[in-house]
Amino acid sequence: MSSEAATMESHHAEAGKARETFRKVTQDVAWVAEAPKPHPLWLLALGIALIMFGIGIYSIYVVVMTGIGVWGNSNNVCWAWDITNFVWWIGIGHAGTLISAVLYLTRQQWRTSINRAAEAMTIFAVMAAGLFPLLHTGRPWFAWWMIPLPNDMGSMWPQFRSPLMWDVFAVSTYLTTSVLFWYMGMVPDLATFRDRNVAKGNKIKAIIYGIVSLGWRGSARQWHRYERAYLVLAGLATPLVFSVHSVVSFDFATSQLPGWHTTIFPPYFVAGAIFSGFAMVLTLLIPLRFLFRLQHIITQDHIGAMCKIMLATGMMVGCAYAHEFFIAWYSGNIFERFTFVSRAFGPFWWAYFSMVSCNVLVPQFFWVKKVRQTNILIWILCIFVNIGMWFERFVIIATSLARSFLPSAWAYYTPTRYDVGVFVGTIGLFLTFFLLFFRFAPVVAISEVKGASPEAHAGKGGH
Amino acid sequence: MSLTKSLHPDEKVKAGRIGNNLMRAGALIAIVFLGISLILGATYAGDDIAGDPHHWKRFFYAYLTAWAFIFSICVGSLWLVLLHHLVRGRWATVVRRIAEAISCAFPVVFVAGLGFIIPLLAGYKNLYYWANPAAHDADLNPTLAHKLGWLEPGFFTVRFVIYGIIFSGIAMYFAKKSREQDESGDPMISDKLRIASGPAMVAYSLLTCLASIDILMSLAPKWYSTIYGVNFWGSACVGGFATIGLVVLAIQRTGRLTHSINANHYHDIGKWMFAFTFFWAYTAFSQFMLQWYGNMPEETVWFKYRLFGDWQWVSIAMLVGFWAFPFVFLMSRWTKRIIPSLVFFAVWQLVFHWLDLYWNVMPQYDWTIVHSGAEAINAGPLMGNIDYHHVGFTPLDITVWIGLVGVLLAGIGRNLRGNLIPIKDPTLGLSLAHENM
Amino acid sequence: MSETHAHDDGGAHAHDDGPADGPLYGVLAEYDTPGELIDAAKKVRDAGYTDFDCFSPFPVHGIDEAMGIKRTILPLLIFGGGFTGTVGGLLLQWYCNSYQWKWNISGKPTWSIPANIPIAFETTILLAVLTSFFGMWMLNKLPQVWHPFFRSERFGRVTDDAFLIGVEAKDKRFDHDTTTKLLKDAGAIGIEDVHEDPDPAKKVMPRWILAFIIASTAFALIPFAIAAKARNSHSSEPHIHIFPDMDFQPKYKSDNAMDVFADGRENRGEISGTVARGSLDADDLYYRGLSGSGADKAWTTSFPTTYPDGRKFVVDRKLLDRGHNRFEIYCSPCHGYDGHGHGSVPNRSADIHPADLIGAPIVSHPNGQLFNTVSNGANTMQGYAAQIPVADRWAIVAYVRALERAQNASLEDVPGPDRGSLQMPPITSPGTEAPK
Repeated sequence: MSSEAATMESHHAEAGKARETFRKVTQDVAWVAEAPKPHPLWLLALGIALIMFGIGIYSIYVVVMTGIGVWGNSNNVCWAWDITNFVWWIGIGHAGTLISAVLYLTRQQWRTSINRAAEAMTIFAVMAAGLFPLLHTGRPWFAWWMIPLPNDMGSMWPQFRSPLMWDVFAVSTYLTTSVLFWYMGMVPDLATFRDRNVAKGNKIKAIIYGIVSLGWRGSARQWHRYERAYLVLAGLATPLVFSVHSVVSFDFATSQLPGWHTTIFPPYFVAGAIFSGFAMVLTLLIPLRFLFRLQHIITQDHIGAMCKIMLATGMMVGCAYAHEFFIAWYSGNIFERFTFVSRAFGPFWWAYFSMVSCNVLVPQFFWVKKVRQTNILIWILCIFVNIGMWFERFVIIATSLARSFLPSAWAYYTPTRYDVGVFVGTIGLFLTFFLLFFRFAPVVAISEVKGASPEAHAGKGGH
Repeated sequence: MSLTKSLHPDEKVKAGRIGNNLMRAGALIAIVFLGISLILGATYAGDDIAGDPHHWKRFFYAYLTAWAFIFSICVGSLWLVLLHHLVRGRWATVVRRIAEAISCAFPVVFVAGLGFIIPLLAGYKNLYYWANPAAHDADLNPTLAHKLGWLEPGFFTVRFVIYGIIFSGIAMYFAKKSREQDESGDPMISDKLRIASGPAMVAYSLLTCLASIDILMSLAPKWYSTIYGVNFWGSACVGGFATIGLVVLAIQRTGRLTHSINANHYHDIGKWMFAFTFFWAYTAFSQFMLQWYGNMPEETVWFKYRLFGDWQWVSIAMLVGFWAFPFVFLMSRWTKRIIPSLVFFAVWQLVFHWLDLYWNVMPQYDWTIVHSGAEAINAGPLMGNIDYHHVGFTPLDITVWIGLVGVLLAGIGRNLRGNLIPIKDPTLGLSLAHENM
Repeated sequence: MSETHAHDDGGAHAHDDGPADGPLYGVLAEYDTPGELIDAAKKVRDAGYTDFDCFSPFPVHGIDEAMGIKRTILPLLIFGGGFTGTVGGLLLQWYCNSYQWKWNISGKPTWSIPANIPIAFETTILLAVLTSFFGMWMLNKLPQVWHPFFRSERFGRVTDDAFLIGVEAKDKRFDHDTTTKLLKDAGAIGIEDVHEDPDPAKKVMPRWILAFIIASTAFALIPFAIAAKARNSHSSEPHIHIFPDMDFQPKYKSDNAMDVFADGRENRGEISGTVARGSLDADDLYYRGLSGSGADKAWTTSFPTTYPDGRKFVVDRKLLDRGHNRFEIYCSPCHGYDGHGHGSVPNRSADIHPADLIGAPIVSHPNGQLFNTVSNGANTMQGYAAQIPVADRWAIVAYVRALERAQNASLEDVPGPDRGSLQMPPITSPGTEAPK
């Protein structure tokens, strides 16, 4: 009898510990959104982000009202900062879906602590990215011409054989999918917020969270369909994330310009996108996890894992650089060879060497375990990677255009203050949305963290 | 319902005699069929031109295709081994020893590769156009002159030997350490292998790309595509996972490993096969679409030989057989979990993986008999009239292929000894209890 | 920790809404751990219940088998959605670019599958994603923000740390006491009854949500209504231009009205009797290629003698080089570099047949007529007076004459010492080394 009582006792202790863990996860995440007063550093960051956003709005106003002639790309370097920024932002947007989908399919459970934030980052990055092609059209109010609508102009339809139209479809599908995936993942957590606010008697908040959580009950029959849908969405998002950056690379690779027309571009762009995306995730999460005391949910191991992914994708990008050079030589095509020599030693040599040192040399530090455990160092290295990946797109775009087939069309590109202004503005837009998200939404996937914890199997031992 | 499991007490994990039997059977197949192929090759009279005997050329093209096939299977298997260590994988621990055994066939495979390397060194000039004196004619081939230092039989052989040493070295290192763990049970060995898998992966990716460029892409020495190596790798991994699945099943038929490996593990093998089928299609489409869209003659000519005439039917078969059909059916959970269906798709994908290599190699075959008027000009691959290009399938393609698969089987058999699963791997419990959604 | 939750729920009414309660909806039982939830679910299922469900903060693995949940048909729906996306994407592109509006872009076929695959792929994914998202909510019968279980305080902890089983009263086997006993015996740490809301209005969608849905739907239709009205009515007012698009610029255009001038036109014509500086074209020979005077005017067979500025017109190497250069820019696209009429334009179009400049009848045309053709065109050829200055037109005429002369030449035209270099080399058989 006494041994049975002891078993019951230890069982209750185990059950109690499991419940304690679940409650702690809820509490720690909900705390971020429920703290009555925001952290002063958060307010400061939001202020800076809003100022940058304001600069962006002014610059966009000038660009739209005057025309894109105010940008520096009014010579033969006709794609410059705008398209560079577009590709850069889209690339950053890839880490979110990668973490949510690819790591889910490959059962990397550490993803649960960061996927929500990364998905939010994806959405805001894609929003920032979308602005650039829109502005580059010069008359953004005619952007609806890119949608196949029956119209009054005879039978004017979009030209579907153009890679730029593929972009429209790829980016809008990506945005839609990311938003739905993000929202769907958030519903059980919003229900948690709802129930907490009901319990506390915050009527208004309870109603708002109640509506956005759609009346989620957490029933097994609901979870069953929810999990199937989540798995399928992950399965759909994986090829989608490959396709989006591949389509972006098609913008370049379908042309005949040396340095753009090369078949490695699709996988090489995807690897670069993941690389830069993880750099941005770390850039944001390292300070924010400190600010909102999430260190035990987003652990050092998770950061280390992300560093390793950056190392791997950085190596892929480096291999692609080497590969491009080798094939340019191997091809026997004098234009190819000239382009690559001019990339490294031509007028934009400084951009080229910034790119190589930031993207290939910097990640090599991640071989060292000590580096992967020193957050401040990781953060600085990630900033370098962000810069390097920006330069990668700039190098591809600007060097090829600046030294195209016709020597009389050679030109040099210098940005104007409006180039810089719009770019700064998108950073402001991105940060503003991200900081707001971090204050008001469940920043960590509560239910998934619980499901991935060892306590989720409590009580199953003997069966 | 639990997270880990221990090895079933009745499990037969010892390889016993299957390794030796497989090695003998493989060697026998290799000797018989390579012998038949030599006779067929010597008597092949298809494309002879006066003063330029071509029958051996057909033999060597068949040999190269079959060799690329067995090489790619090892490449695919080695990938699973490296990835498993790199990401601290769990599900594959139970099949890792099999993948190690397949990838450890590398030394044997590279020795078999000497079958076309030695003739090349000895001055055989009809396999690779760049080894032909006509390639050195700068008027005929202006874009070839500068790379003949790279594509040169001596240097080519040096690179081939380096590929052989490094691939074999990586594969054997990982297999050896894993067996050491069987003895000592030291968990530190897992950590050591994980650390080693990083640099090994870097070397592996670089060498896979370079080797495919050297051995396959240089058959059309004037053509180039930067994604070629990645495309080859995708196809190789389809073949690798299909082979791992089939070998594991064959071992289970002998009554071994019956408790450890179940539908959940086959499901994952099927998933990877599906993923690489998709990845292959993605890279193949990228390569084709970008060159089609750019429409530059020096690039499109490569596809011209594959998309018109007889070869267009092979290309359509590839699209439907290597991608569309398995893609649609492998999407379902059950086709990967029901064993006969998985076997069907593994065999199917191996056949089409071979066809993919055949499609890469064989259209380059006709280069010395390119016709201009009544006379032949040695202008090299992709310079003539596509009307003269036919699929030209011969029994040689099959006999050489069977012979080299025999070599591969012998190579695998040589490594099927001792324990068939890493019995003291720290992740074994997780792998045994693995459940697939 | 369990004692805080394990208060005794033996009584039928767990909370004191007593008189406000409606009919019994079901029984909720709480369990300690996910493992016990699974065991209890198995027992409830084995007892033959069907209208019951388990509630947990995260998906508990193994519960599907324990409860006997059938696999959802969602993947099939998604496959259908994706397939519709593929077919729809391809049809859209075919209809727009290959059927309704054929438009040649860089020589690609209007219906070109490789270029249509990316969009077909994206539409496939898009429709599959939409099906899985909306299909999942539909099959789950959500959104439904009203549910009797929400009346239970205990149920509010399902999204935090509670593991519950709810058995509904409508189940055929439901009997309050036996069901409660079953749940208790399965290891429940707490049991309570849940009653429906006595107010029938609260059993269905709350009024204000319905009102909001109707109002927002109506609101969303307003723009369409405005568009429909605008399309079906006439107005004398000009269009509203939100963005002027440079349609309205402060400048004068021909054919517009203006009250500054007596004739009321913006357009200022030439003043009769005047010639603008440098525009006098009185020289018939130079400007029109005509020689002679009065009724005897005819195409000149030679060249002008002077330029309008008085320089002498000389047919020399410099003039021919200039003519060569201009010819290759303006004439060679149609007439070809050799003048035989095989340029790149007729190569691409079967309907354009440029004249052979080297053969009859052009060789016999006088210089003046050739000049006139360059200036004003002939047959389907348009005039080039607007693009090519007069002096350059004469240079082209001179170059065409040189082309004709060169291509209709005989061996005797070659200076004696150079004739030898024109001899054919000895014929070698192809396939052997070519002579260097």
